[in-house]
Amino acid sequence: MKKPANYIFPLALIFAGGLLPVFLGAYPQAVARSVFTFMALAISWDMLLRSGQISFGIAGFFGLGSYTAIILSVRAGVAPVVAMLSAAAFAALVAFLLGFLVLRLRSTYFSITTLALGEIFKVIIHNWSSFTGGPEGLVLPQVVFGGKSSSLYWLSYAILLFAVGASVLFEKSKMHFSLTAIRNNEIAARTSGINIFANLLIAFTASSLIQGLVGGVHVMSYGFAMPDTAFDANYTLLPLAMALLGGIHSTWGPIIGALLLGVISEYLKLMIPYGHLLVYGLIIILVILFMPRGIYGLIKKERSKRNG
Amino acid sequence: MKKFLTMFVLSAFLASTAFAQGAIKIGANWNLADITGNHGSKGAMLAVEEINKAGGVLGKQLQLVIVDDEGKGDKGVAAIEKLVTVDKVDFLIGGMSSAVALAQVPTMKKYQKVVVSTGAASYLVENALGADADWYFHLHPWDYTQGASYLEGWTAIRNKYPNIKIDRMFLAYEEGAFGKSSYDSSKKMFEKDFQFDGESFKSAALGGGDYTAMIEKAKEYKPDIFLWAGYDADALPMLEQAKAMRFSPPLFVGAPPGWPKDFGKSKLADNVTLYGMWAPSINDVNPVSKKFYDAFVAKYKEEPATYFGPLAYSAVYVLAEGIKRAGSLDSTAVIKALEQTKYLSALGETISFSPSNVIKHQGIRNQKILQWQNGRQEVIWPFEVQTRPPVYPFPAWK
Amino acid sequence: MTVNRKAVPWIILGAAAVVAILAWKPTVLIYGVQRAGLYASVAIPMALVLGIVHIVNLAHGEIMMVSAYLTYNIARSIGLDPWLALLPVALVMGIMGYFIFQLTIRHTLKAPELNQLILTFGIAITMTQAISLIFTPQTRKLPLSYVSMSATIGETSFGVYDFVYVAIALLMGFGIKWFLSNTRMGKAAVAVGQNPRGAAIVGIDVMKTYVFIFTVSVILVGMTGSVFMTRQSIFPYVGSPYTMKSFSLVAMAGIGSISGIIYSSLLLGIAEAAINGIRGASGWSGIVFFLIIIIVIAVRAYKGRKL
Repeated sequence: MKKPANYIFPLALIFAGGLLPVFLGAYPQAVARSVFTFMALAISWDMLLRSGQISFGIAGFFGLGSYTAIILSVRAGVAPVVAMLSAAAFAALVAFLLGFLVLRLRSTYFSITTLALGEIFKVIIHNWSSFTGGPEGLVLPQVVFGGKSSSLYWLSYAILLFAVGASVLFEKSKMHFSLTAIRNNEIAARTSGINIFANLLIAFTASSLIQGLVGGVHVMSYGFAMPDTAFDANYTLLPLAMALLGGIHSTWGPIIGALLLGVISEYLKLMIPYGHLLVYGLIIILVILFMPRGIYGLIKKERSKRNG
Repeated sequence: MKKFLTMFVLSAFLASTAFAQGAIKIGANWNLADITGNHGSKGAMLAVEEINKAGGVLGKQLQLVIVDDEGKGDKGVAAIEKLVTVDKVDFLIGGMSSAVALAQVPTMKKYQKVVVSTGAASYLVENALGADADWYFHLHPWDYTQGASYLEGWTAIRNKYPNIKIDRMFLAYEEGAFGKSSYDSSKKMFEKDFQFDGESFKSAALGGGDYTAMIEKAKEYKPDIFLWAGYDADALPMLEQAKAMRFSPPLFVGAPPGWPKDFGKSKLADNVTLYGMWAPSINDVNPVSKKFYDAFVAKYKEEPATYFGPLAYSAVYVLAEGIKRAGSLDSTAVIKALEQTKYLSALGETISFSPSNVIKHQGIRNQKILQWQNGRQEVIWPFEVQTRPPVYPFPAWK
Repeated sequence: MTVNRKAVPWIILGAAAVVAILAWKPTVLIYGVQRAGLYASVAIPMALVLGIVHIVNLAHGEIMMVSAYLTYNIARSIGLDPWLALLPVALVMGIMGYFIFQLTIRHTLKAPELNQLILTFGIAITMTQAISLIFTPQTRKLPLSYVSMSATIGETSFGVYDFVYVAIALLMGFGIKWFLSNTRMGKAAVAVGQNPRGAAIVGIDVMKTYVFIFTVSVILVGMTGSVFMTRQSIFPYVGSPYTMKSFSLVAMAGIGSISGIIYSSLLLGIAEAAINGIRGASGWSGIVFFLIIIIVIAVRAYKGRKL
C-alpha cells in the first residue's frame, strides 16, 4: 500500500523507546511511566472519539481497573499478571453491558452519562468499606518487579504499545471507515448499511478495556488505590487535553500531545517550583488558540502543502 | 525548533546538577500548591539557612533541594527518583499526603536513604513500610497515636477540672480518607470509656459544605463534646450553621490540619477547642518556637498558618543534629545517631524516636488540645505547655 | 407556562413525595430547597451559555471563584458589605467576561466543540493558579453575623439565610426567561441559539449576541460567587466541583431549558437532603445525584425525543 519507508520510522521509534532504560536513569524512567500512562489513556479516548462520541468516563474505567486489580490481589491473592488482565476484562465487560444503555445517547448527554457512571463507581467503592477498603483505600504488600525501574518502565511501555497497536488496528481496518462515517453523518452511515450500534459498542468496549488495563497496571506498579486518587478527575481531563493538543482522530496526535504536556509539566515544575501550573494553563490556552488542529494537524497540513 | 528542543532538554538537566559540590544534600518533597507544603517548604528553607549561617554541619554547608510532589502519587515517585539519582541527595525529608507516601514507599525501600518524614498519618503507610524500614523516621503522629493522645488528653482534663463533663461524644467526620481514619481510630479508643457516636459530612474543601443533616443528628444525640474532623474550609461555615440551628454543645472541638485566615477574628470562634500541634501562643512557653516564629515572619512577611511550618523546620534540625552526632554521612551511623535524638522542638515537645505498632522510629505521638481565646490559640493540654486554662462551657448562642 | 395533561401524574407524584417528606422529616424539605437554590443559581448562567453560544465552559466554577475573591478583598479592604460589593464586582466581572470572550473563546468558535472545552479547561487552570499565587492557597472566610439567621418552628431551629440562593435562582431564571421572550436582543439570542446561520441571514449580528450572552453569564455566575462567598469559605480550588455539577444539571434539564434547571435542582437537592437525613447513609448521596441524572437522560432518550 505504502512505501516501506513509512514503516521504518515508527518501527525504529518503537525499538528506541524499548532501549531507553539502557541510557536513561531512574528519574527519566519514572517520568516516562507517567507519560505513558496518560498517553495510553489519551489514545484509548481518541479511539472512541473517532465515532464522534466524547467520553468523560476515562477516570471511571481507569479507577474500576485499578480496584479490580488491587482487590483481586489483596483479597484473593491472585498473581499480578492475572490481576492486571482481569482489570482489563472487567472494565471491558462493564463497558459492554453499560454500552446498551449509554450508546443510544449523543453529544453532551453521552459525555455527562459517562461522567456520572464514573462517579457512581467511585461512590460504590468509597462506601463499600469492608470489601474495597473504603476511603482509606487498599495497599499491596509488594509492587510488581520489586519496584525495579527498568522493569516497570518496560511494563508500562508494553501497555502503551498495546494501546497504540489497538489504535492503529482501528485506523487500518474497516472500523475506521465505519467510525468516520458515523461521526460525519449518522443517517448517511445507517443508510449505507453500517451497523452503528455494533461499531460504537466495539469502540466503547475496546477503549474501556485499555483504560481498565492501564488502571490495573498503574495500581500494581504504585502499590495502592484510594477512591480519591484512582478516580481523580485529572485522569479524564489531562488525556483529553493531551489528545486535543496533539491532534485528535489519529494515533500520532495523542502520542505527541501526551509527550509534550507530560514533559513540559515536569520541566516547568523544576524551573518554577511555586506557580508552574499557571504556565501550564497558559500553554494549553495558547496551543488551542494558535494550533486549533493540534500539533499533528499542523504537521499534516505542512506536509500536504509541501507535497503540493 | 530543533535547537529549541535541545536547549530545553539540556537546561532541564543542567538546572538539576549545577549545584555546589561538597555540600550535604537534603532532598525534600511537598505539595507546594497547598498551604501545608507551601509553609512546610518555607520552614525547612529557614532552618537550612540558620544552620548554614551558624557554620553548617561537619564543616559543610547544607543544601536543600525541593521538588513539588503536586499531591500526586506518580509525581511523588518521580520526585524521589530525581532527588536520589539526579541530585544525588544524601537524605530525604518532607511529605504530607498519605497517598503520596504510599506511592513512594516502594521507591524509598529501593534506595534506603535516611528519611525524616513530616507527613503521612495513615497507618497504611506504616504497614506498607514494614518492620525492617529502620531508615524511616516518622515525625508526624500516626492516626492511631493521635487518637490515643486525645483519649489521654480528655481523661486528664476531666480529672483536673471536675466541672468539665465529658461522657457523650459525637464525632462528625469528613467522608474522605482523612475523616474516616480519624473516625475509625477515635471510635476504637473512645468506645470503652465514653459513649461514642458519629456521622460523616462532605467537606467544603471537596465540593460539600452543607452540614445541616450532620448537625441535626449531632443535636439529637445531645453530646457533652462535639468534635469534627474536616478541613479549614469547614471551620467557620460549620459554626455559622450550628449557630443558625441553635446547636451549642458544652465543648465544640475542631480538628482540621489548618485554620482559615483570620479565623480568630470571628466572634463565633471564641472558645472553640481544637486539636493541633502548634500555635503561635507556644512562643510564650517555648523559646525555640519564638525563635522560629520571629524568623519566619521576618523572612516571609506572613504568619506560619499550619503546623507544617514548624514541623518541617524541626525535621531539618533533627536531621542536622543527627548527622553531627554521627560525624559522617554514613547511613548506618546516622540512623544510630538519630535514634539518640532528644531535640527540643518549636512544636513545644522534645522529639525522640521509639517504636510504634510496626516501625521502629516514631517521633511525635501527640496532638495538643488548644482553645481559641480572644483570637489566639491557647494550649490547654498537655499541661506542661499549657498557656491558658480552658474556658467551659462553650457559650450558648445569643 | 401552561400545564399540559401529561404533567398531571408527575405533579401528583411530586405532591405525594412532598407530603411524605413533611410527615417524615420536614427539615429535609427546607435544606433540600436551599441546596437546590445554590445548584440552580450556579447552573443557570451555564445553561444560558450552553443554550445560545453552544460552548461548554469548564472555567464556569473558576469564574465564580474569582468573583468570590474579588468580593472578599473589596469587603475586607474597604469594609464594604459583600452585598454592596456585589455591584462593583459585577462590573469588573463583566469586563473580564468580555475580554475572555474576545481574546480567547471567539477564536475557537469555528473549531470543533472540543477545542472550546479544552480552552476553557486551560483558562480554569490559569485562574486557579493565578489566584493561588496572588492570595496564597490559604482558605478565607469573612465572619458575617447575618448568615446565621435562624427561625424556629416548634422544637426545630433552622438557618434561613440559604434561602437567598433560592431567591437568586428564581430571579435569574425568570429574569432570563423574560429577557429572552420579551426583548429584541433576547429574541435575537434565542434565534442565534437555535440556528446561528439562519439568524445571520435575517440580519442578526451573531458574534455580538455571543459576546453579550457570554458576558451576561459571567456577570451572573459572578454575582452567585459574591453571595456564595458570604456563606462558604473560599480557596483557589473552591469553584471546580461546581463546574461539573452545573454541567450535569444542564444536561439533566435538557440543553437550553432554564425552567428545567430549576426543576432538576429541586429534585436533586431534595433527594440528596433526604439521603443525608437517613442515619449513616450520607456517604451515598452522591450516587443519588448521578443516578437521577442518568435515569432522566436515559428516559428522555428512550422516549425518542430528540436530544
